[in-house]
Amino acid sequence: MSLRFNRRSLMRGLLGGAGVCVGLPALDTFLNGNGTAYAEGAKLPTRFGTYFWGLGLTDTPTGGTRWVPKTTGAGYEITPELASLKSVKDKVSVFSGFRVIGDGRPNLVHWSGHASILTGIAPAGSTKFDGPTFDTKIADAIGGGTRFKVLDVDASVSRKPVSYSTRTGNSFATSETTPLALYERIFGEGFQDPNSDNWKPDPSIMLRQSVLSAITEQRQSLMANVGKADQVKLDQYFTSLREMENQLAIGLQKPEKCEACVVPPPPKEPHRSASVDVVNANTKAMAKMLAMAMACNQTKVFNFVHTAGSSETYIAGDSKIYHQITHDEPTDAKLGYQPMTSKIAGMVMQAFGDFLVEMDAIKEGDGTLLDHSLIMGFSDTGYAKIHAIENIPMFLAGGANGKHKAGQHIAAKGESVTRISLTAQQLVGAPVGEFGAGGMKTSRPITEVMA
Amino acid sequence: MATKAGLVCATLAITALLGAATFTTTTPSPVWAQASTPLAPVKVGVRRITETQYRHTIADVFGADIKINARFEPEKREDGLLAVGSSHLSLTASGFEQYFALASSISEQALAEPRRATTVTCAPKDVRKTDEACARQFVGRYGQQLFRRPLSEAETAARLKTASVGTQQSGDFYAGIKLALTSLLMDPDFVFRMETAEADPANPRAYRLDGYSKASRISYLLWDTTPDAELLAAASSGDIHTSAGLHKQLDRLVASPRFEDGARAFFADMLQLDGFDNLIKDPATYPKFNQAIADSAKEQTLKTTIDLLVSKKRDYRDLFSSNETFINRYLASVYKVPYSSSNEWAPYTFSESSERAGILTQVSFLSLFAHPAGSSPTRRGVKVHEIFMCEPTPEPPADVDFSKVQDSSKGTVRGRLLDHMENTGCTACHRRSDPPGLALEHFDGLGQLRTMENGARIDVSADLDGKKFEGAQGLAKYLRDDPKIPACLVRNVYAYGVGRPTDERDEDYIADQTAAFASSGYVLPSLMAQIASSPEFFKPVIPRLASPSAAAKPL
Amino acid sequence: MRYSTGTAIAAFVLAAAFPAAASAEWTKTWVVEWNEPAMYYGAKSGVIDPGTDCPKGTNPDIDWVQIMVNAGYTREEATWLRNPANPTRSPVHGQNQMAFRGKDRANVYINPTSTPDPGLTPVSGTTGEGVDLDGNTKNGFTGLGGEKGIDNNFYRTLGCWKTYRGPQRLSSGALQFNDAMRNGSWTTVIVATGKGADPMNDKDVKVGFYMSADKIVKDGNGGVALDYTFRIKPDAKYEALYTARTQNGVIASTAPSDVMLRDPSYSQDLDLLRARISLKMKPDGSLQGYVGGYRAWAPVYKGWVDARGPVIEALTWVQLPGVYYALQRNADFSPTGPAGEKTHISYAMRVDALPAFVMTPDGGKQVTEIASYKASAPPPSKPSATTFTVIDGLVPDRNAKVQAGPTAIILPPTVAPTSAGQ
Repeated sequence: MSLRFNRRSLMRGLLGGAGVCVGLPALDTFLNGNGTAYAEGAKLPTRFGTYFWGLGLTDTPTGGTRWVPKTTGAGYEITPELASLKSVKDKVSVFSGFRVIGDGRPNLVHWSGHASILTGIAPAGSTKFDGPTFDTKIADAIGGGTRFKVLDVDASVSRKPVSYSTRTGNSFATSETTPLALYERIFGEGFQDPNSDNWKPDPSIMLRQSVLSAITEQRQSLMANVGKADQVKLDQYFTSLREMENQLAIGLQKPEKCEACVVPPPPKEPHRSASVDVVNANTKAMAKMLAMAMACNQTKVFNFVHTAGSSETYIAGDSKIYHQITHDEPTDAKLGYQPMTSKIAGMVMQAFGDFLVEMDAIKEGDGTLLDHSLIMGFSDTGYAKIHAIENIPMFLAGGANGKHKAGQHIAAKGESVTRISLTAQQLVGAPVGEFGAGGMKTSRPITEVMA
Repeated sequence: MATKAGLVCATLAITALLGAATFTTTTPSPVWAQASTPLAPVKVGVRRITETQYRHTIADVFGADIKINARFEPEKREDGLLAVGSSHLSLTASGFEQYFALASSISEQALAEPRRATTVTCAPKDVRKTDEACARQFVGRYGQQLFRRPLSEAETAARLKTASVGTQQSGDFYAGIKLALTSLLMDPDFVFRMETAEADPANPRAYRLDGYSKASRISYLLWDTTPDAELLAAASSGDIHTSAGLHKQLDRLVASPRFEDGARAFFADMLQLDGFDNLIKDPATYPKFNQAIADSAKEQTLKTTIDLLVSKKRDYRDLFSSNETFINRYLASVYKVPYSSSNEWAPYTFSESSERAGILTQVSFLSLFAHPAGSSPTRRGVKVHEIFMCEPTPEPPADVDFSKVQDSSKGTVRGRLLDHMENTGCTACHRRSDPPGLALEHFDGLGQLRTMENGARIDVSADLDGKKFEGAQGLAKYLRDDPKIPACLVRNVYAYGVGRPTDERDEDYIADQTAAFASSGYVLPSLMAQIASSPEFFKPVIPRLASPSAAAKPL
Repeated sequence: MRYSTGTAIAAFVLAAAFPAAASAEWTKTWVVEWNEPAMYYGAKSGVIDPGTDCPKGTNPDIDWVQIMVNAGYTREEATWLRNPANPTRSPVHGQNQMAFRGKDRANVYINPTSTPDPGLTPVSGTTGEGVDLDGNTKNGFTGLGGEKGIDNNFYRTLGCWKTYRGPQRLSSGALQFNDAMRNGSWTTVIVATGKGADPMNDKDVKVGFYMSADKIVKDGNGGVALDYTFRIKPDAKYEALYTARTQNGVIASTAPSDVMLRDPSYSQDLDLLRARISLKMKPDGSLQGYVGGYRAWAPVYKGWVDARGPVIEALTWVQLPGVYYALQRNADFSPTGPAGEKTHISYAMRVDALPAFVMTPDGGKQVTEIASYKASAPPPSKPSATTFTVIDGLVPDRNAKVQAGPTAIILPPTVAPTSAGQ
C-alpha cells in the first residue's frame, strides 16, 4: 500500500504548500522568480512546535512581576526573567495577562493551565485532558509528507516520559527522553540521508508493508463487537499503524536534496540527573537535533517538554526542589519578590532561549529555520506560589514563513489563553475558525501579530 | 455518532439494541431483547500487556534465550495500579515503531539457523518456495499461543498471504514465515489482552467470559504470562467453566514455582516499584546512590515480600513488622552493615537498634517517596495511605494561601511541616497524610538512618486519628492492627486481576473476601486462589457498543 | 642510622606482638582509596611550576640529539634517529636505538654505569612528608606540621622528576595507577584494633594492611563509596602488620616492621624495611597519613626500565642512567649493617582511606584482631602479562628489517632514497 498523492493534492490539500524538500521534484515553472516559493504564493513548508516548561514565571504579591515587559507593542524591553530571549527578541512575541476560564471547574494544580491551552477545555480530572490537544490537529493538517508526522521530546529526566500531546485525552504520546534516544530515532536505522547520492529503494520496506497489511485486513473484524472505550484504543492503535505505513511509503521514494541538512554526530549522554544544569544541557542537545531533523525534512511538527507541570528540577546540591521553593520561599521584604524562585525561573528560561537560538542557527533558503517555523512556548501556571492560572506566560516564536508579525508584547488582562492557541493554529495554516469550549471558546485570533 | 435510523438498519440488530442501553454490570440481557435471538459475542476488555508480561510470554513461547532489547511503552497508574491504568492505553506512533522493531528481532532470532529446527517442526518440500501446509501449521501453532486462542480462518489466511509474498520476493520459505510471525507479534490480539464475553449456555440471556478469556485472566494473575497448553486445553474443552475444572487449574498454578512470577508482578505494581526505572537522586547529597543501588533496592523488596508471603506463607501483616529480609553488597553500604556472604544475595535480620523492621523501613519505600536531595514525610505518608490502606489523598487545593507559610531553614523538616499544619487550608489533609511519614523521619531521602538533623535529635512521634505512635516500629504496630490493611490488599488483588477500578458496588464482595482472607490466616496464595475462584472475578462488564458504522469505517 | 632496637630484637617484638589474640576493645576498618609516593610539592599552582622544592621547576626537557652526539653518534645520525621515519622507532614503543649510548654502544638501560652520570636535579627544599625512620631528628626533612627528622631520600632524589612531581593526587604517575586501583585492579584494606577504651588515645594498638579481592565501588561523584564490605584475601606477599599507639587520633608505630605493600607503580612490590606508620583518624571517619620505610632502590630503577626505557625517557624528560646514579648516591640504608652496601633508600607513601567493613577471608565475620594470613595464602602469582614483552628495556619489533643494537646501521644507504626502511 503506498501513499497516494499527486501534485494536485499537494496544491489543494497539504496546507503550508510543498517546498523544495518534499517528495516530488519541483518544476521550475512552478517556482517564482526567486526560487523561493511556488508561483501561487504558497511558501516553503511551515513547521510547528510546542515548547513547555513547568512552574511559570515569577509575579509578586503586590501585583508586580519579574517577567512582563512594561511596554506593549513592538520593541518591548527585556525583563530579568526574559534575559535569555535577548538575541532572538525580534522573532518572539510575548503574551501577558491571558488566563484560563474554568466555568466553575476547580483549578487542578499544575494541570488545568496547560490542559486548557492545549485542548481549549478546563479539565475535569487531573489525570486526563477532556479533548485532543491542538498540536495533533496541526500535525494532521501540515504534518504529512515527512517520515514522522510528529516528534515528541522530553528533556526533564522525570520518572516517566512526559508528554502533553493526546488525541484521546486519556493516553499521551511517548516522548524520547535522552539526546541519544532522540538521535537514534531520527538518524538511526530507517534514516535516509536526503543528500546522499547512493539512494536505492530498500526491498525490505515492501516486506514490512506486507506484515502490516495482514493486520489491516483484519481491522473490520477486530473492531466489530467492541465497546466504545475499547474502540478508542484500537483506533489509536490503527492510527499509529498508519503512521508506520506512511513512514514506509516515504521510505520508498527518493528524497529531495535538502541543502541545510547535515547529519550530526551522535551526542554524548550526560550523567542522569534532573538538576537544572543537566536538563538545560539536554534541551540544547535535543534542540540541535530537532532543528536538524526539520532541516532534513524528517518531520514538520514537534512537541517539546523542558520540565513537567509539577517540575522536579532543582539546583544541583540543593536539598529543596524548585517546586518546593516556589511555595516555601517568602517574598523578600526589600526586593519585593522571591529571589531564589526568580533566579531559578531565569535558569529555566535560559533553556527556552537556547532552544530558539538553535532553531535560528540553521540557514534555510533566504532565512533561517526559525523564520519558517512557529513555536508556541507556554507553561502550566502563572505565579507558581499560588498556583495562579492568570497571567500564564506564553510566547510565539518564529516567522511562520512571514505570517507572524513577531517581536511584540501583547498584554490583554483577563482574556482567554485559547486566543493564543487559535492564533497559533491559524498562523500555520490549519483550517480552524474557532477553538475552545465554554468561557474559553473564541473565534478571535490576535490579529496584531498576524501579517 | 450514527442516527437511530442507522442503528436500526444495521445488520447486527441485537448489538444495536444493546447499544441503546447504558453500562450493565450484571449479566442479564435487556428486557426488550428478543427471547429467541442468541447473544453475539462481545469484546469486554482490551488491555495492553505489560513489559514483564511481554517478556514472560516470549520466553515461554520461544525460549528464555531470546534477547529482548526495546523500549517498552510507559505504563499509567490509575487507582493505584498499573493494571487498572493499562485499560486506557494503546500504542503511540513511536511505541508502534519500537514494538515493530522488537517483533522483527524476535522473529529473526526464533527462526535463525541453529534454532530453526526447534521452532519449526515441519519441513517445507522446497526451501525456496512456499509450502502452505507447513506455513499453516506454523502460523496455527504460534498464533494460538500468542493470541491465547485458536486463530480464525481469515486471520490465518492473511498470514499465509504475507508469508507467500515474503517467500516469493526472497526465494526463502523461512523468510516468508518470519514475516508471518512478525505480523502475529504486532497484531492487537497479541499486544492487547482481548477478553470476550459469550452467551452463557446455562442462561442464554446472560453473558459469561469465554473459556480463553478466563484462562487468560487466571494465567496473568497467577503467573504473569500467557496461558500454557494445559490451560488452553481446559478452555477449549470447557473444563474451565466447571467448578472442579477451575479449581484444578487454580491449584496447579498456585502450587507451581511460577506462582512467584505472578506474585512478583503483582507486588511490583501495588508497591509502585516501577518508580525505580528512572529514580534520580542528587549525587552531592546521596553519593552512594546509583543504578545498582536502585535495582538492588527493588529486588530486596520483591525478594523479601515473596519469601515472606509465598515461600513461607506467613501472615500478610507481618510484612510491616518482620525484620528478616535479604540484602546484597550494595545495599549493605546504604544500610551501613557488613555483608557477610560470598553469594550475591544473603538473608539478613536487622537488629533492634537499627530501627528497621518491615517494608516501610526498606530503602525501596524510603527512597522512592522522597525528594532527590531530601526526605519527604508528606510523600511517604501519602503513599502509606494510598498503597496499603487504599486511601488516596486528594489533590491540594489551588487556593492555598502560601503567603502565610514561613520558611524556616533552621530546625527540622518536621518543624516546617508542623508549621504548615497551622494553616487552615492545609490541616485537613496534612494531619492525615503526614503522620506516617513523620514517624519515618529517622531515614533520609535515600533510606539511610539518621537520628540528628541540624544538631537536634529528630522527633518521630506521630498522631493519626487519635492514636499515637513513635518511630517506624510504632507505625508498624499501628498498621498491623488496622483492618484497612488486609481489606486493601484484597481490593488490590481483585482490581489487578480484573483490570478495573473498584467502587461502592464492590464493597460487600470485598468485605466477604477479606473475611475469608482473615480465616486463612492472611495467607496470600490462598487469597489469590480464593478471589480467582469467585464468580465476581469472571463477571463480564458489557460495554456500550461502538456504532456499527464506525466499525465498518474504511482505512 | 639504625633504630635502637636491632633487627633481631625487632623481629622478636613482632612475633611476641601477634600471638593468637583475644578480641580487642575497639576495631576500626577502612579501605584505601588513594595511595601515592609522598612527594611534597612546593609551588603554589600548576603541576610542574618552580617552587621551594624545585626552584627551577620540574627536570627540564632534554635535547636528545645532543645526548646521542655526546654518546658518539654523528649529528646526522642523531637527527635521523629522532625522526619518526627511522625504522628502529615505533610510534608506540619509542626509538629503541636510544638504549645504545653507553661505552662501545652498550645498552644504558641494563648497564647504566656504561655511561657517565648525567645528573638528576634533586629536591633542594627543606619540607618533606613521611616518617622519622632512624630516630634522628637532625637528618631529614621538616614535615607539614613542623615535625623534624622526616626520612625520605626517595623524595629528595626523585622529587623534581616530572613523573613524580605535583600536588596531591595530581602527579601523572599517581593518577594513572590510582585510577586503575579505583576501577577495580586491586584493593587494600586497613584494620586497626586496640585494647583501651578510647580509640583516640590508646597505648596498645595493632594495625594490619591486607589485600581484598572485592572491588572498590565508586559513588555518584566519581569518588570511592563509603561503607562497602571487603573480605580479606590471604596474600603470600602483600601484608603489613604494625604495633602502634594512638595519641589524639594519630596512629603511630611504636616499633618498626618489615612489610610488603602493593605498590601503585609498574613494579608492584613495595617491600619496606623498618616500616612505620603515621595515620590520623579524622572526625569524618576517614584515615589519612603515611607509611614510611626503607625500600630497595634497584627494583625501582628496574621497574622504570621494564616500562620501556625509550618511552619513559621521552615522556618524562629524564635520562634513566641518571636515575640509577642518583638513587645509588642517595641510598641511606643497608640491611646487613652499617658496613654493608646501601641497597635501600628511605621512602614514604601517602595513604588515604575511607570507612569500610572488613571481613575474615571466609566472609563470615568482621575482623576484630590483627593476625597474619600468609600461611593460608596461595603461592604468589606472576604479575599479569602486559600486551607487549619488554626485553632489556626495549620492545623489539620482530618484523623490522633493521634491529636496534650496538652495531646497527643508522642512516639508510644513500643509493635509493625512496626505499629507506620499507
